Amino acid sequence: MKIEGKQMIWKEYQKEIASDNFFYVRSCVRQNFFPGSEKTFLRIMRDELQKDVFENASHTTCSGIGYHSDIVPIETTMTMIARQFALMTEAGKENFTTSCITSFGLYNEVLETWHHFPDVEERVRQNLLKATGRSFNKPKNISHASDVIFHFRKEIADRGKFTLTDHRTGKPLRVVEHIGCHYSKMFPSKGVGGAEYPYVLAGMIEDWGGEVIDYPERRHCCGFGFRQYLVKANRGYSIACSKKKFESMESYSPDMILTNCPGCPMFLDRWQYAISEMEGKTYGGNGQGIPVLTYEELAGLVLGYNPWDLGLQVHQVPVEPLLDKMGVPYDPGMKFKGANGEDLGMPEAPSYLNFYPETA
Amino acid sequence: MTNLYQQLSQDIRFIEGMKACLNCGTCTAICPAAEFYDYQPRKIVDTLQSKDEAAIEALLKSDTIWYCGECMSCMTRCPRGNAPGMLIIALRSLSQELGYFVESEKGRQQLAVKRTVGEWILKYGYCLYPSQISPENHPEQGPIWEWEHKNIEGVMNRLGANYEKTGPGILRKIPQEALDEIRAIFEVTGGMDRYDKIEEFSRMKAAEMGLDLKEGMDNDYIRHIYTTNSPKHSRDHED
Amino acid sequence: MNKPVVIIGGGIAGMEAAACISAKGREVILLEKTGQLGGHLLQWDRLFPTRRKSSEVLRHLEKGMNDGISVHLEAEISGIENNNGVFIVKLSDGREFEGSALLLSTGYSVFDARKKEEYGYGIYDNVITSAELEEFFRNNRQENLLKGIKSKRIGIVHCVGSRDEKVGNLYCSKVCCITGVKQAIEIKELLPESEIYCFYMDLRMFDRHFEEMYYEAQQKWGIHFIRGRMSEAAENADHTLVVKVEDTLTGLPLKMTVDILILLVGFIPSPETARLAGMLGIDSGEDGFLIVEDEHFASNSTSIPGVFISGAVKGPVCIEHTITDARAAALQVLSYLDSEIAKWRNSETVK
Repeated sequence: MKIEGKQMIWKEYQKEIASDNFFYVRSCVRQNFFPGSEKTFLRIMRDELQKDVFENASHTTCSGIGYHSDIVPIETTMTMIARQFALMTEAGKENFTTSCITSFGLYNEVLETWHHFPDVEERVRQNLLKATGRSFNKPKNISHASDVIFHFRKEIADRGKFTLTDHRTGKPLRVVEHIGCHYSKMFPSKGVGGAEYPYVLAGMIEDWGGEVIDYPERRHCCGFGFRQYLVKANRGYSIACSKKKFESMESYSPDMILTNCPGCPMFLDRWQYAISEMEGKTYGGNGQGIPVLTYEELAGLVLGYNPWDLGLQVHQVPVEPLLDKMGVPYDPGMKFKGANGEDLGMPEAPSYLNFYPETA
Repeated sequence: MTNLYQQLSQDIRFIEGMKACLNCGTCTAICPAAEFYDYQPRKIVDTLQSKDEAAIEALLKSDTIWYCGECMSCMTRCPRGNAPGMLIIALRSLSQELGYFVESEKGRQQLAVKRTVGEWILKYGYCLYPSQISPENHPEQGPIWEWEHKNIEGVMNRLGANYEKTGPGILRKIPQEALDEIRAIFEVTGGMDRYDKIEEFSRMKAAEMGLDLKEGMDNDYIRHIYTTNSPKHSRDHED
Repeated sequence: MNKPVVIIGGGIAGMEAAACISAKGREVILLEKTGQLGGHLLQWDRLFPTRRKSSEVLRHLEKGMNDGISVHLEAEISGIENNNGVFIVKLSDGREFEGSALLLSTGYSVFDARKKEEYGYGIYDNVITSAELEEFFRNNRQENLLKGIKSKRIGIVHCVGSRDEKVGNLYCSKVCCITGVKQAIEIKELLPESEIYCFYMDLRMFDRHFEEMYYEAQQKWGIHFIRGRMSEAAENADHTLVVKVEDTLTGLPLKMTVDILILLVGFIPSPETARLAGMLGIDSGEDGFLIVEDEHFASNSTSIPGVFISGAVKGPVCIEHTITDARAAALQVLSYLDSEIAKWRNSETVK
């Protein structure tokens, strides 16, 4: 593999990412399943980097999951999005940053549609005015939160206390990067690095000391498929997509998977569990599965935050092997405790995935 | 009544996604649904391009249009600038407007989606809500979710959420005014109409099928559509 | 009217036109930017459809280079002036050439396969272009290329850089399909135990003997043809490539491992042609190739009197037709000069 070939492509797809004065909108999946990630994003942006990231409590879902499972018509979704823009306008902001990748794709898609069909934009303005009395400006810059972390990856590296290396051997960790489909598959120029060799996560991995692993099914969808997961009868599609990826990456012995979409880490995490229960098969060394992290979680680890503040305890595939490799200290006893150390009980152990690994 | 093709061509997704297809198969080569299901996005585009009303009607009533996972991998690659994924969205939209979706096993599932995600959007302002994602309906979420679900306040608190409280933050209680605005948006833009149609057509179908359908998720029809998965959908099924 | 004909571009079209014009007694100045005459012909090993050696065609073209043609190699053009039908071509080293007519035959460029990112050219070791394969054959290095490969499965990908909105080229490059069939046969001859797969959208067997070559490829050599445009290539740990394509004739998507992937790269308008055309005021079409005065009966003339074009500046073309086109251009140039002389003579007699 010639890395220069990829580097040439990465140079072609540079995009402008705002660096301050953000209007932040949250992700439905992340808030439910990875709340620590969003908390960490704001902690890094506000406390570490002193950036202005504004959140209006009145903001809602963009309805993306509803739109892509086809229950919400496009006019409705466009008007929901217009409302989010109205809140941004009200806050005096121009830089829009989203936590969700589906949202990111949708915001770009809608702006693109309005660009080509100004009458559609006009109709949406009328709809919004009629329904809520609000009007809006379009954002000057739309970035995904992973774009922003990418933008500040060097600053994070500078402040970092840990790197993506095995501290016992000094070798870089082998990291699989998984990009959410809606990041750049529709509009390659809107993604850092384009659609075929996106760089937004690879850049983080490189600058934080890790080694990016390429494998044949790198671009394959994780299988969320919206209605293909939401309805129980369809989940075969979803798990099959993830399994395809695991089988493809297995021989490359990755130490972890890094993702930027909120849904992908959930599926790549939980489907490893489900496959182990159904077939007895686990991926990764020692039957422990391959830990799946969001970029906020990984940035937090690099910065030396407490893993249980980051929310790593709510992953089904244990992250302890990764923490041990990186040399990140953690208190196993505090893993499932509440904010004031109170006892919240413990999850049951899965049948095959190691859940309480022996301390190194 | 305007014909189906004409109705489809009013949909902005159709206008953006349908150029001219030369049946090269690049979309199908990369499509995850084509790997597992008896499905080829190429054939869908080809059928639409033919403007054959009977074929389009059959498509709108079939399981076929419900296999796509809307990953848009097809759109990245098409050498003619088509977007089969967008055409699927247009087809699914029309299928629900006309009530054809209840004619297929996969199409009937839309009611389950509407009564979960659809209603959570209006009730909570989120597409997903922890209290509603029961471990029973989601065994694949694992013991970790079971634990999180049981201890949701404690976990949310631990991770710095503003769970069900006012002000900004994770899973905050979205202000009632905002929820009212969402509902108004749904009313004005046809979102409520769509929800009502999904309900109405499903109600008729349930009666036809002799399955009990009442509110909520705890009834025979919902259980049926939520879990029924015929083996004939997969690529290598035996007839 | 007595000045020479200046021909810019010493490839197939330029050389053949020079020979024809010179044979009629006209002085020719032939300017070539590289150090050699022959253009892209110098890259090919054997030519379709008969698989004769390209050096034979080159020899024919070289035989036409008589004393009446003044050849200037390494000629870098810095400017062209049109002084009411007298053309002054300026080189960057300060030399100037004057002509009564100008022929632009600066040809095309080969599509840079790196632009087709998902095919992995320039990233994966075993992805090469059809142009590179010809180079291997010319230099007898096919042993290097093909040694050590395991299952000896080779994929040939059609339409790389052509018929593709994603890379901005909607046109068909015409000669790649037959090149693919030719190369498939050539490889099979070298490696009889190999399995060769051509992934195509359409098979453009447009000229005499082409269809027969396709038949021979199937019948005699067992080349496999799969009607499906390759979607992506990815690399396995052992550097073999896994290819995703749909066999559209059976409606089945498939994944296949191949040892080597050969990309049939197409024509693109050459930047140098665009630069010179800009100096002359010749327009390009939407496809980027130069516009002719009339596609049917004035396909060597431009909107500028005295400026003619020939060869691949007009778009994808095979060698045989380039030679024919060059001869036609030569005739147009000579007719033009005769009529100008007549005009000039008439105006003289009027005086």
